[in-house]
Amino acid sequence: MKLSINGIEVVAQSGDTVLDAATRKGLSIQHLCTHKALKPFGACRMCLVEIDGMRGYPPSCTTPAAEGMVVRTNTEALRKLQRNILGLTMLEHPSACLVCGKRARCEEYRSKPEKAGRTTGCHTCNNMKHCSVRTMTEDVGLERLPVPPLYHERPLERSNPFIDRDLNLCILCGLCVRICKKHQGEGVIDFVQRGSHTHIGEAFGHTLKEAGCTFCGSCVDACPTGTLSDRFAKWYGNPDHVSATTCAFCGEGCAVLTDSVEGKLLALHSAESFPICVVGRFAAAELLNSAERFLVPKIRVGKNLREVTRDAAVAAVAEQLGNYRGSSFAFVCDTFSTLEDRRVFEQFTREVMQSPNFVQVTVDAKGAGQATLPEGVKAAVLTGALLSPEALRGLDYVVLIDFLPSAVLEVAHAVFPASVFAEVSGSFSDGSGTFRPLRRISDAPGQSLPDWQTVGLWAEAMGAPQLTFAASEEITAQLAIETQARVARNEAPAPSQDITKCPATFRGHALATFVPGLREFDPDAPKAVQVVASTSEDGPFRILSKEEIVPNTFKLVIHAPAVAKRAKAGQFCIAMADETSERVPYTLCDWDAEAGTITLVVLEKGQSSRKLILLPEGGRLAHVTGPLGIPFEVKNYGRVALAGGCYGVGAVGPVARALRAAGNHVTVAVEARSHYLTYLSKQLADASDEFIQTTIDGSTGFKGHAVDAIEANLKAGGHYDLVVAIGCPFMMMLVSELTKPLNIPTQVSLNPIMLDGTGMCGACRVTVGDSVKFACVDGPFFDAHLVDWEEVRDRRQAYSHEEVQSVGLSAPVTVIEKPVDQHHCVAH
Amino acid sequence: MSSIAETYTQAESDWKALESAQGPVFYVGAATCGRAAGAGKTIERLEQEIQSRGLSARVVETGCIGPCCLEPVMIVQTPGAPQVLYGGIGPEEATAVLERHGLGGEPCAEWALGTMDGSVWKGVGPFQDHPMMAGQVRHVLRNCGIIDPEKVEHYLARDGYRGFLRALEIGPDGILEEVKASNLRGRGGAGFPAWRKWEFCRSVTSETRYLICNADEGDPGAFMNRSVLESDPHAVLEGMLIAARALGATEGYIYCRAEYPLAIHRLEKALGQMRELGLLGKNIQGTDFSFEMKIKKGAGAFVCGEETALIASIEGRRGMPQPRPPFPAVSGLWGKPTVIHNVESLANLPQILVRGGAWFAQFGSESSKGTKTFALAGKVNRTGLIEVPLGTSLRHIIEVVGGGSPGGKSVKAVQTGGPSGGCVPADQLDLPVDYESLTAAGTIMGSGGMIVLDEDNCMVDIAKYFLSFTQEESCGKCTPCRVGTRAMHAVLDRISKGLGTLEDINTLEEVAMTVKNGSLCGLGQTAPNPVLTTLRYFRHEYEAHILRKECTALACSALVEYQIDETRCTGCGACRRACPVGAISGESKKTHVIDPKTCIHCGACLNRCPEAFAAVYRQSGTVLRRETPKKKSAAAAPEESAS
Repeated sequence: MKLSINGIEVVAQSGDTVLDAATRKGLSIQHLCTHKALKPFGACRMCLVEIDGMRGYPPSCTTPAAEGMVVRTNTEALRKLQRNILGLTMLEHPSACLVCGKRARCEEYRSKPEKAGRTTGCHTCNNMKHCSVRTMTEDVGLERLPVPPLYHERPLERSNPFIDRDLNLCILCGLCVRICKKHQGEGVIDFVQRGSHTHIGEAFGHTLKEAGCTFCGSCVDACPTGTLSDRFAKWYGNPDHVSATTCAFCGEGCAVLTDSVEGKLLALHSAESFPICVVGRFAAAELLNSAERFLVPKIRVGKNLREVTRDAAVAAVAEQLGNYRGSSFAFVCDTFSTLEDRRVFEQFTREVMQSPNFVQVTVDAKGAGQATLPEGVKAAVLTGALLSPEALRGLDYVVLIDFLPSAVLEVAHAVFPASVFAEVSGSFSDGSGTFRPLRRISDAPGQSLPDWQTVGLWAEAMGAPQLTFAASEEITAQLAIETQARVARNEAPAPSQDITKCPATFRGHALATFVPGLREFDPDAPKAVQVVASTSEDGPFRILSKEEIVPNTFKLVIHAPAVAKRAKAGQFCIAMADETSERVPYTLCDWDAEAGTITLVVLEKGQSSRKLILLPEGGRLAHVTGPLGIPFEVKNYGRVALAGGCYGVGAVGPVARALRAAGNHVTVAVEARSHYLTYLSKQLADASDEFIQTTIDGSTGFKGHAVDAIEANLKAGGHYDLVVAIGCPFMMMLVSELTKPLNIPTQVSLNPIMLDGTGMCGACRVTVGDSVKFACVDGPFFDAHLVDWEEVRDRRQAYSHEEVQSVGLSAPVTVIEKPVDQHHCVAH
Repeated sequence: MSSIAETYTQAESDWKALESAQGPVFYVGAATCGRAAGAGKTIERLEQEIQSRGLSARVVETGCIGPCCLEPVMIVQTPGAPQVLYGGIGPEEATAVLERHGLGGEPCAEWALGTMDGSVWKGVGPFQDHPMMAGQVRHVLRNCGIIDPEKVEHYLARDGYRGFLRALEIGPDGILEEVKASNLRGRGGAGFPAWRKWEFCRSVTSETRYLICNADEGDPGAFMNRSVLESDPHAVLEGMLIAARALGATEGYIYCRAEYPLAIHRLEKALGQMRELGLLGKNIQGTDFSFEMKIKKGAGAFVCGEETALIASIEGRRGMPQPRPPFPAVSGLWGKPTVIHNVESLANLPQILVRGGAWFAQFGSESSKGTKTFALAGKVNRTGLIEVPLGTSLRHIIEVVGGGSPGGKSVKAVQTGGPSGGCVPADQLDLPVDYESLTAAGTIMGSGGMIVLDEDNCMVDIAKYFLSFTQEESCGKCTPCRVGTRAMHAVLDRISKGLGTLEDINTLEEVAMTVKNGSLCGLGQTAPNPVLTTLRYFRHEYEAHILRKECTALACSALVEYQIDETRCTGCGACRRACPVGAISGESKKTHVIDPKTCIHCGACLNRCPEAFAAVYRQSGTVLRRETPKKKSAAAAPEESAS
């Protein structure tokens, strides 16, 4: 049938909706709640069109195309309606960054999203790079919101394994609910409550696990807004490669697409119309990225395994194995190894070692398999935790090619780090005996090598060069097999529907050992706890009060008499949540020498700040060191403007009060993204002669950044003798850029990574003018016009990889409170 | 099971026997509304009296005759005299009426509303001459308050099921013709002609068709359907049989809100009676027509009155509307062609079949035929359930039937159609009540809610009230409705607190039009009507709130200041003691002062100030109002809403 869309003749197929027909012709119509695998829903109302003879504005996603239909998608009335509807959508989604005038500059300065607890803007959103609503605001040209954002103040949900849920980002497109119903039958999530209280949730307030979630991740994949996120992968950034391969963790052989970034595997997604299981979707990437991976070859020296060069390890193994040719040698592998690997293992066993003992453990659906060693074996090679140490103890020589630690290490004489799964290419034989392709997608850590290559090196050292190959494809050619990806199946793979049917081991290792999220499903496994909070009723470093003053920003009052006693405006302290956490500097926002308390404003960014804000009231920090840094030089400058942003809003107060007391006229301008993020306004108004609250979205106060408010004052004839900025580097940089050409002296409080805070380590070094300074002892205040802002940014990101890894544990974020014995407290 | 003819004979003779009973008969209106007003106690007292005096009198529980303002109501019948309707009959009055009228044969003039047969009896004139009845034509309500709703014999004696029997005779096409001739339009609010819905459904090839009775009456202040279900359930069920026969439907559902337990009880009872009479089940009355009915209780979501949400709810899914097409008439319940009718639409069908479509069409206006029930409420002297021919003017309904606003205050506007409707200003009261006229005025007919507003009602506050309702009751599915209603409510709230700007009026209009044009279902598409109509007719009130921080109706508490007139205050201290927040200060026998910063505008001081002084007054902007303290409740808060 033919219809006309914007005067263009479009040929539609039977069953097409107007949207289908338009898409077929390449005409674009905005839409948020549609999904190729799902029936139309008609909720987001972005795809409304005009159709002759139909009342109002029917949605193109649900209206069937009909012969002779005359459709318009781009009238002025429609564009206005669309803009207004999107404006309403954005009231329930952090939107300040989308209507921010400095957005381009911001995204140039910080090109990757920064991690945070609750997301309140694009640059702290894990979904920043692939956000549907974000691109839509650009396409539609949304510049303002009809009313101030209607933030829901919903808590960030981290009580589930693998999945974080921040309903404050949700626009209720319903994709997660619908994909769950499609992939899991009745589905475990649905719309809960009604009206403006409507949200996505489980029945009766259950957790996902209690509601029967199998963690297939379909909902996370469908979510267009960042509401649902993959806890492990979320902060690594946008994948730079999406590749097709086969999931090799069980016999299902699901065809998958992998996300990877900079050679790091992030996640697997189903490439079929059915979901994959939790092991494929979430656990595989976490397993391959485990911090416990073997990195270098090791050789046993006495009781210890000692790191050696690969050449040394190969030589040692070749020498030793040379003593066990014949049936005293056995090679034990399991069918998780690629066909290519196993071909090489077998040839090595038969041709090089002249042994009949090539033992292949066939794994069952759960990944377990039982190996037994033939009689008389004295030396063995294992490709995993395939035999117990007891079974191996009687042997003279044990070589392990593996990727993660196990009990076998107790008896191994040599260990070679192995590349596994997505780090190797080859062929995988699935449960039906069909050969599936495995592709190399990610980089193995350290000196890991594919197993065939490791064994090839031994063979070469033992005088058998025929097992040396340039690439696995050469072995594939010898095998003369053809692989094919799975294309179609009739029903969902069983593990995706029932978590008890998921593979539990890989190369003899229990997956739950290295993927803490999986322990949630084993009632006997000790649960992974991310935060252990020591609590006490008295003693130093106790949190006396904790309050989330605005989303993701906490005010902590801590008992620290020694710090409080000596504190001066502008100084900071270094706090450690527990004995293993980072040492993080926090500006002293307030203190009470008499009561012995200090007040910190803590923004949740990464693991260390998370630990800190998860400590309960009465929880005890491991340590607070301070006061540190040079106090702000308080004197009468004349007219001073103080700019504060983010956590810096809290830090502005003491400086403002001190300067005012010294006779200065003090203007305080603090910024927030939106009205629901403003805090301490009253206290700062009291501490200043002029107080300006700005919001990026203009929902309250002055529309713009703090720097814009100061600029406006200057333009209106105002004059400042000194400007001080405390906030994120971007905000301070903007202030510096404003005042530099005007020659207004400007001080900024720099906040680089610190370790000791006493000028020893140099971690906090910053370049100011021609000299290198240590922020901890020379700062924190520096002449803004001399600061190298690019360097400040880059040095703050120095450990971003490790930071991301540490917040990416799949276990639920939980806090265990543990009372401490007072007598063991360190007196301070 | 006796034949239907025998049952009729028996029912009619029983009815006659009741009407010509030797002893007095007391028919007490005992629907939920009557019970709430104390009818239970009235009945109890009557039964006690009858027993203790050993009288051969009877008490019959009927449904609701309509006049809420006069509840509890009772009809008294004595041999040889016309039935007399009384209002305001509590236990004491019941004893008096029993003695003086029931036994003494003399009417109690002070409570008598009129005779039921149109005659004048011992100074009591006909009830139909009561101003409340002026212009009322009772078709849907014809049995309400007259018969015992739990006795099918009463219904049968008054032409019950004769319409259905005729429907069986003339067959589906005959029924359709009759209904077409009547031009009955949907009484749920949209006014879609019933016969067109039927034709649409019948044109779809399907072995199974469903008929649903929408009894999910959810508008605040509306109770038309409840009254009919409680007072005359068989009329609705007979209507369902007729519609089912016309459609070829084999199964029917009555979707009734669980908040109507009495209606559900009476429907269940009525279904049992139908089954006994061979009016339900297989081969009804020996024909090839088979029909089953089930009651499905709704859990209280307003949106489930929307057809597709209602269907989802019956199917056990969350009550969320779905886009159309497909229309329910094509693919509805369980994917089968389904027709959904409002209670009142169905209750009209029996009489259309008995008396003919042409008879029905002689009532009403050119485009809107028949009568319509309304729940008349708000600032009107005679609240109650009324039924008037469509086309009757709003003025007649409010000023004559309703008797105008109490306390001599002037009517400001009338709100029809509940949260989906709008406000028609007083200067348009001559508007005829029909679908087209109301739509043109920016409101809708709706299912029959009619709330009268007077000078004490603030139109910003009214709009805010309805928006607070819709934003809570939106299903949450589509963005314009879920977020837009909340956004409008936020702006209205701001304006009502004196924090609005003139720009806010534009914002309100813009968001309202976005919600109207962008929403998925009727709830969202009509939710802005209270805002749009108040902006259209009462923009000056919005501007007064914004520019002068003035709420002329003194309804927006943030804009109302309580003050003490120093010329009247004697310093008695009553207000100071009554103030719950300690906002009033003053020495004994000296003028007291209210601290506006502490005051929470509860009105306790106004109510406690002795009438002789009346020193406390309210002020908003330039409006100053002195009023005598409210006697009823010492700490009555200012009215928040219209309900």
